Amino acid sequence: MDSALFFLPLLLFPFFSALVCYLVGRLRHLAGAYAIFSALVQFGAMAWAGYFLFREGGTLELPGVLGMGLHFSLTGLQYLLCMLACLLWLGSTLAAREQLAAYGRVARYHFFSFLTLGGILGVFMASDLYTLLVFFEIMSFSSWPLVQHSGTREARRAADSYLAFAVFGGLATLMGLFLLYSLTGTLRFGELAEAARPWQGTAALYTAGALTAAGFASKAAVWPLHTWLPTAHPAAPAPASALLSGIITKAGMYGLIFLAAGLFAADFGWGMATLLLGTVTMLTGAVLALFSVNLKRTLACSSMSQIGFILVGLGMQALLGEENGIAVAGLTLHIFNHALFKLSLFVGAGVVAAQIHHLKLEEIQGFGRGKPLLMFSFGMGALGLMGVPLFSGYISKTLLHESIVEYIHLLEHEGLATGLFTAVEWLFLLAGGLTVAYMTRLFLCLFVEKNADPARQADFDARNGHYLRPLTGAVLALAGLAIPVLGLTPHLTMDRIGALANGFFASHGLAHAIAYFSPVNLEGSAISLAIGAGVYLLVARPLLSRRRADGGRLYPDLWPKALDLEEKLYRPLLAGLAFWGAFAARLTASLFGWAARLADGIIHWGQGATVRFPEDEFFAVYEAEPKGRFGFRGSLAFSLLLFCIGFAGVMFYMLLA
Amino acid sequence: MNSWYFLVPVLLPALMGLALPFVAADKKNLHQCVGFVLVLEVASCLMAALRCSGSLSLLRLGDFAFLLSGDTLGKFFSVLFSFVFALAGFFGFEYFEHDEREKSYSVFYLLTLTSLQGLCYSGNLFSFYMFYEMMTLFSLPMVLHERTEASRRAGMQYLGYSLLGACLALFGFFFAQRQCYTTTFTPGGALAEGLAAARPELTLLAAFAMLLGFGGKAGLLPLHAWLPIAHPEAPAPASAVLSGVITKGGVLGIIRVIYYVFGPDFLRGSWVQYTLLALALTTIFMGSMLAYKEQLLKKRLAWSTVSQVSYALFGLFLLCPVGFWGALLQITFHALAKTSLFLSAGAIIHASGFVRVGQLRGIGQRMPDVLWCFALGSLSLVGIPPLAGFVSKWYLAEGSFVQLGSWGWLGAAVLLVSALLTAGYLLSILSAGFFPGKDWPLLPRLRVSPLSAGALVTGCAGLLIFGLWPAGLLELFSRISDTIL
Repeated sequence: MDSALFFLPLLLFPFFSALVCYLVGRLRHLAGAYAIFSALVQFGAMAWAGYFLFREGGTLELPGVLGMGLHFSLTGLQYLLCMLACLLWLGSTLAAREQLAAYGRVARYHFFSFLTLGGILGVFMASDLYTLLVFFEIMSFSSWPLVQHSGTREARRAADSYLAFAVFGGLATLMGLFLLYSLTGTLRFGELAEAARPWQGTAALYTAGALTAAGFASKAAVWPLHTWLPTAHPAAPAPASALLSGIITKAGMYGLIFLAAGLFAADFGWGMATLLLGTVTMLTGAVLALFSVNLKRTLACSSMSQIGFILVGLGMQALLGEENGIAVAGLTLHIFNHALFKLSLFVGAGVVAAQIHHLKLEEIQGFGRGKPLLMFSFGMGALGLMGVPLFSGYISKTLLHESIVEYIHLLEHEGLATGLFTAVEWLFLLAGGLTVAYMTRLFLCLFVEKNADPARQADFDARNGHYLRPLTGAVLALAGLAIPVLGLTPHLTMDRIGALANGFFASHGLAHAIAYFSPVNLEGSAISLAIGAGVYLLVARPLLSRRRADGGRLYPDLWPKALDLEEKLYRPLLAGLAFWGAFAARLTASLFGWAARLADGIIHWGQGATVRFPEDEFFAVYEAEPKGRFGFRGSLAFSLLLFCIGFAGVMFYMLLA
Repeated sequence: MNSWYFLVPVLLPALMGLALPFVAADKKNLHQCVGFVLVLEVASCLMAALRCSGSLSLLRLGDFAFLLSGDTLGKFFSVLFSFVFALAGFFGFEYFEHDEREKSYSVFYLLTLTSLQGLCYSGNLFSFYMFYEMMTLFSLPMVLHERTEASRRAGMQYLGYSLLGACLALFGFFFAQRQCYTTTFTPGGALAEGLAAARPELTLLAAFAMLLGFGGKAGLLPLHAWLPIAHPEAPAPASAVLSGVITKGGVLGIIRVIYYVFGPDFLRGSWVQYTLLALALTTIFMGSMLAYKEQLLKKRLAWSTVSQVSYALFGLFLLCPVGFWGALLQITFHALAKTSLFLSAGAIIHASGFVRVGQLRGIGQRMPDVLWCFALGSLSLVGIPPLAGFVSKWYLAEGSFVQLGSWGWLGAAVLLVSALLTAGYLLSILSAGFFPGKDWPLLPRLRVSPLSAGALVTGCAGLLIFGLWPAGLLELFSRISDTIL
């Protein structure tokens, strides 16, 4: 099919751009300008050619490439994710011109950034797990230098753990694919469910699925594989944080969606596991964000929490089975919304970082005072994230909430116990409340409270009016504006976007149009907001911050160090394993050597001392008191001679025999 | 037809090598001669591979004949070997620029190439064994090149382990001579069923001894110990061929013994197969683990060779087509990747004098091109797509599942644990080399000559091209495996 050829330019252009950025950056400092051009072209091409492919149902098959062959398709969900990736790349590249200035090495940043884009587009376009893994690995490894970019000690440490998770995750996924392939004989999206039917519900298939999912989950920062995320985001430069948070986590999410829709469609066990992990991730992320005292770390933990919300939707769509339209729309929209929020929030954080090179709450306190554009964009992102009605986050959260409620109704209808799901519903609302609390805390700190140091506050105020470049401002304004516009037109825009994923999940879509602003639905949001207000006023403000003498607030780091999974569990565990592994390996490696040494000792028992001359070209060992007739008995030449005589004898014997 | 032509790739390097002391007057002259003969060798290997077939009996001694013949497998190895030798040879010109013993090195380098080409074109076990011994003896001076006490010890270890392995192989040879119709390499094996069936245990023991012996050259437990000792002492280009090519000589011996002498059907399911599989898996893990703990760069790479070559052996011992493909892919890719890695290490050692891993911090800013090649080689060894190592690992693991049934996961798991360790010991070098951190001082650039850089880049390009497009190689290997399995 001719349309299939459209895939190749879309896929290869980022790699080409990466190369150009590198070369251009070496010769002249044009990498930033070229990157913007290239991101624009990529966005336009994706919008146009991608839409064409999506409408025509184009697929591309490259047999023989990388052994197994690569397969691509562009269904609705894939098109949406690709567009989202290009959009975020465009936004972050536009802002990068200003925000990378402090770090330097712009060409290197764009080189790896475009490699990552190529990887991520490949991930989203993949229609089999092999292709998915190939591009996933490309993405993982090319985004590693982005985390590393600033070169500080924290960045290097964060990049190490990012890389460790990438390697571990990639290999776990590879192992899962080996198992899966040995069971089913295929990895194609369309054929997987059918081929796996004989194995449905067996431990073998669950093991294969879980291993495959582990790699994706670690990239999506699902608990307990999330520990890289709170350190990697603050360490990376702001444009990279927006990408990591907004879209690279979604690549992992796409892997999980692929498994859920292609392999474990309507599988109860898989759905429950996803739901529970999602719930834990949602709450852990929110609690971490509440304790965090660093702007970008808060946003990063919030990403983790929002990933949990999406996972809850993914779990619910598996449980709901046939009537999963509402959960599918909810999770798709939340993916979309979250990328948008994180774009506006991280670019906003990037403005702060570019101006004052600090991210700790106490240092940036009061920076946003008198900066309306920043406040608008940040506020819109925050309101969206909180799920306040009239903003787009409300729509997706309502749909996710509704999906839980619907399942509870379903269970009630069949007369089954609903306790677990009622608990999940309340935890969902609680996590929403925590979101409200930490975003309020962040917003107040940045835009309302005054800095403890008056000189610093004066410095902040002096920057008003010229604290960002027009390009960054445009990104902020547009991203901020999109949130209420989408939120105000749910049926016109949001429902259509949500419906894009129906084909992927083989879902029938929403059974009926949702009345988003009906009292029932507003009630959920209201409960969340009330919980949020309660948490902020009763916990976050009095317990997690201190009162300052002049009436302001101090933000000490109160997160207990003992709860750091990576520091207390993963790193010691790995070190221990490496020690014992090396011990065993050393033992195995030496056994034969010891035996040889023993034999050597027995053979040379009672032999006199030997002399070895330092300047000896012939590598001979001389006995101190030569006893034999040959003077060169200890030399290499003598050994070889003996060997050759023996060898010739053996050959002669063989000839005669 | 044209079978006399097989003499050309076999004898060409030897003739030139022996003439070298008389022809080459100065360094430039030497480089011209060696470069010329290496290029000619690649061309004549390609020529032999594409145009010639048949077999050529040279010399008959009683029951034994020196038989040269070109089958697809041998031709493939011959081209691969000559290619890697050319890369390492051209790289050596800069590496040895201040070395007055380069001429003697070059002589033995070319003689080793002759013995390796002889291995590839050997048509029976007798000539194979002869060339195998020749390879050991001719490559020994390359290990001894530095003439230090340490290199002397390393040379002795190398010689000892090689001869021990060869003796084991010889022991097996006696029995093969008795129990096979012929020791001329026959696809699928030439075991005389009546004789073997009479005393199967003895025949199995003979096969085991032979495989263990040839495995010694390939770094298989328990005869692996020479590798990590000999490699750091040899000069870098010699390490590259030791690791990339000479270990493959052992692998070729194993292929010949399993698939062309005893036959895979005889060994399948026997204790020999399972013992060797266990040894290969143990070696894979052991090599990676010790490489992870090793701080000397070249020694780390040597341990990595121990592990990586055993990947290929694992695939061969599986005795199934998929495993065989995986093994041959692994051999090809490892030869390219390890050559790139050792040559990069050589370039770093030559330019900066750093030999320990800890000294390599920030080296990526001083020698970016070299470290990029190192990076490509590393990522290929770990098995990161789209580089070549990923494809071979995929087939090896698939073979493990096909052949070992419910135990297949064990093989795949060991491969992946080893890949994890490989990432641990190679990527840490990249991390420190490319990203030394903000506070690291900016030191002046170190240059490598265009010729050395060209050799490095060629090896890496091979990795990328074969990684993206392994279909041609796979077709070739499936043609080979069709005849023997």
